[in-house]
Amino acid sequence: MRVATRLALATTLVVLFGLSSAAGETPAAVPLPPYAGAYQPQTVDERGAWMMADEAERSLRDSPALIGDPALNAYLQRVLCRTVGEDRCRGIRIYILRVADVNASMMANGTLQIWSGILLRMQNEAELAGVLGHEFAHFERRHQLNHFRKARTATDIAAWAGLAGGRYGPTVAFSAQTSIYAFGREQETESDMLSSRYMQASHYDGHSVGAFWERLMDEADATALGRHRRSTRFDRVSYFDTHPATLERARTFHAAAASAPGGGDDEHAAWTAALARWREAWLEDQLKLNDFGGTEYLLAQLGRDGWTQDLLFARGELYRMRGNPRDLIAAADFYREAIILAPDHAEAHRGLGLTLLRRGREVDAETGRAELRRYLTLKPAATDAAMMAALLS
Amino acid sequence: MFGRIVAVFFACAGLFTLAGPVAAQEKSAVRPGFVLKPGSARILLFRPRILVGAQSTGAMFEPNADWTEQARENLGKALAAAQTTLGNTVVVAPEAIGKAAARLAAYQALFATVADAVVEYQFFAGNRLPTKKRAGQFDWTLGPGVADLAKDTGCDYALFIGTEDQYGSTGRKIFQFVAAVARVPIVSGSHKGQAGLVDLRTGDLVWLNADMRMGGDVRDPAGASKRMMQLLEDFPGRSLDAAANAESRVATR
Amino acid sequence: MAGRVIASATTAILLAVAPAIAGNTLVKQGVAASVARSALTVMPDREWNRMGARPGRRSETWTLDGATLNDLTFYGAIETGKTLFRKVDRKHRPLPRYSSRMLLTDIPMLLENSYRIALGTSLMTIDTVQPTLLAGSKAVRFTYTCTRPGEDVERRGEAVAAIIGRKLFMMSYEAPAIFYFDRDLAAFRRLVATAWLAEGTR
Repeated sequence: MRVATRLALATTLVVLFGLSSAAGETPAAVPLPPYAGAYQPQTVDERGAWMMADEAERSLRDSPALIGDPALNAYLQRVLCRTVGEDRCRGIRIYILRVADVNASMMANGTLQIWSGILLRMQNEAELAGVLGHEFAHFERRHQLNHFRKARTATDIAAWAGLAGGRYGPTVAFSAQTSIYAFGREQETESDMLSSRYMQASHYDGHSVGAFWERLMDEADATALGRHRRSTRFDRVSYFDTHPATLERARTFHAAAASAPGGGDDEHAAWTAALARWREAWLEDQLKLNDFGGTEYLLAQLGRDGWTQDLLFARGELYRMRGNPRDLIAAADFYREAIILAPDHAEAHRGLGLTLLRRGREVDAETGRAELRRYLTLKPAATDAAMMAALLS
Repeated sequence: MFGRIVAVFFACAGLFTLAGPVAAQEKSAVRPGFVLKPGSARILLFRPRILVGAQSTGAMFEPNADWTEQARENLGKALAAAQTTLGNTVVVAPEAIGKAAARLAAYQALFATVADAVVEYQFFAGNRLPTKKRAGQFDWTLGPGVADLAKDTGCDYALFIGTEDQYGSTGRKIFQFVAAVARVPIVSGSHKGQAGLVDLRTGDLVWLNADMRMGGDVRDPAGASKRMMQLLEDFPGRSLDAAANAESRVATR
Repeated sequence: MAGRVIASATTAILLAVAPAIAGNTLVKQGVAASVARSALTVMPDREWNRMGARPGRRSETWTLDGATLNDLTFYGAIETGKTLFRKVDRKHRPLPRYSSRMLLTDIPMLLENSYRIALGTSLMTIDTVQPTLLAGSKAVRFTYTCTRPGEDVERRGEAVAAIIGRKLFMMSYEAPAIFYFDRDLAAFRRLVATAWLAEGTR
């Protein structure tokens, strides 16, 4: 009885809290913006959040996943500065991590981490500017702090509800947990709005961000389809989505861009040059995710301006990995096209050789062995040279 | 290695931190045959890893910088005081930089992994490995490469210390009480401490004191002193008189 | 985009207190042991511990000091269409499946991709690939390096795999790169050298 009463009371509080924040949360009279030079956190909660962030940043700095490439890091920092302004960007340290997933996040103390998976999917500098601006907005509005306070209240409710058990227990636990995510969504929308204002001020093409979200959404669809699941494309907000439904998001950006004067730059060439050194390695990470549909979509998007050798090779690998008889025929074609563009692409010869051997027909096997010999000639010190030589004997 | 991953998904099904069996569990051990005579050795001490926060009702960790600062200061003082009771010379390692810092971090991570393995596979009876069951046995190591951390210090042993405290918030404590009535065991707070002495010639763990439930509130000086006493309890080669004096000092506060 | 960070922190807390599955048993020295509920049999020349928790239906793990310090896993008679270990998240992160149509050279990639997906890390690389024998059949021996997210311990591994009667048999050994990997690598290789398939149970 006692537990049930407390539960009801607590749930009411959460609802009230949710309403008040939905009504529009205006951060009242904050003394100093967090990006001001040598800013010190003010309250117990803020100091706690900064301490955790400082600790996390230290381990991030030494993370084996960190991509240290000075040129790439300098490029990202330049884009951030152009987007949010020279005075503000100084409060931020960017860390690029080699993780084959779409994410970027901001910590309370100005530590911005961005994963290789999201960079791989961008097609121009303006899209990068949009994402960096979005993360910066979280920092500027101190979202980490508010999010943390709210999360504490919500999980408190979940613990009580789970204990109460019985008929209502699970339901209440569910809605309390989702309120954490709902709070996240409001902040995400606020950051999106702020981000598109930065884009306009810095003369980036605001439309490109909307296009980026649309592609992410299409890719999720392609992944789902490839796994025989239903589409994840939501016009409404899914319960556990931290972020606003991507469709709504794409619309926000398109609307903001339409009202902006002039087109703005997308800096496509600068982006392509900056990414050149890394794309092949990141494509390889993507291939290893066992996501045929999504990867096929991604390759098609990246190949819109022409199929380059790295894309053709990746596509060959993708089809060879799935390995249905028809896939092996397609894979061999992609490798051959890659070899036409780059006759000395050792791994393409390797892929073609293994594909032909797997087809299991003697006529193919002979050509396959010739391809593997070519691979070994091009790359005699390959780590799998002995194994390939064994296949030839 | 994938057992743990699978366990996450089972664990995520419930939001509770269920207490394990409260059976008497070993907390410290000495390598058989290891003796440390007072005044015979130099011990290298690395900067302890300290983290303090609160655990809200939903078992979420709330970091608290003020508490951590207090704990760092209190535990530092308590350690400085306790150092004199260890019966041997203690050398505080200077802050490592560059490559040396990365190497130290790698060994600290390995120490934490080994200490956790000792707790899980030797101290905790329910999951003990058969080869670790034999009476009087304590055979764990970081490997001889650990000597690189102490080059030119002239030290014989290295002392690693780490603490992680989550205090139950008021909500968590009330919840714990109600849960007790409902016969669901819930732990309020979590107080993890690890202290280990490593032989710098062999890398062998010669003494370890590790526990998931330590006493002493590290946020106040007396509690930090108690925690340090507990961490260094049974420390081999401790001069008993000095230790007794220090303990009585704490007791009279 | 901060939600995932929070979620994984919660997971880490729950993980820390997840009750361990008990029932570890002793593997005796000099007594033939059939492993992974299959015909795969080995003759240990030293004592090992068999972990009560299995990574999958057709696998089992042995250790000396705990699976975080040395992990020897056997995969026995994996059939076409099966994954190497239990699925972590079947819907959103399905693991790749073994197929008897694979070449031996495809097996390192099968393990690599399974690890990357199950552990959620891009820090897994195959370092060398060489021909060898397992239980008298043509096999592949490969080495790898991996780091789990949120952990500073780098691990190295070595594995030997063969396709026998269209089924996959594999033994892998993995330990922290500092000290542990080198210390017990020889013991693993000796064990691999003793492996055979028990008659009539293929």
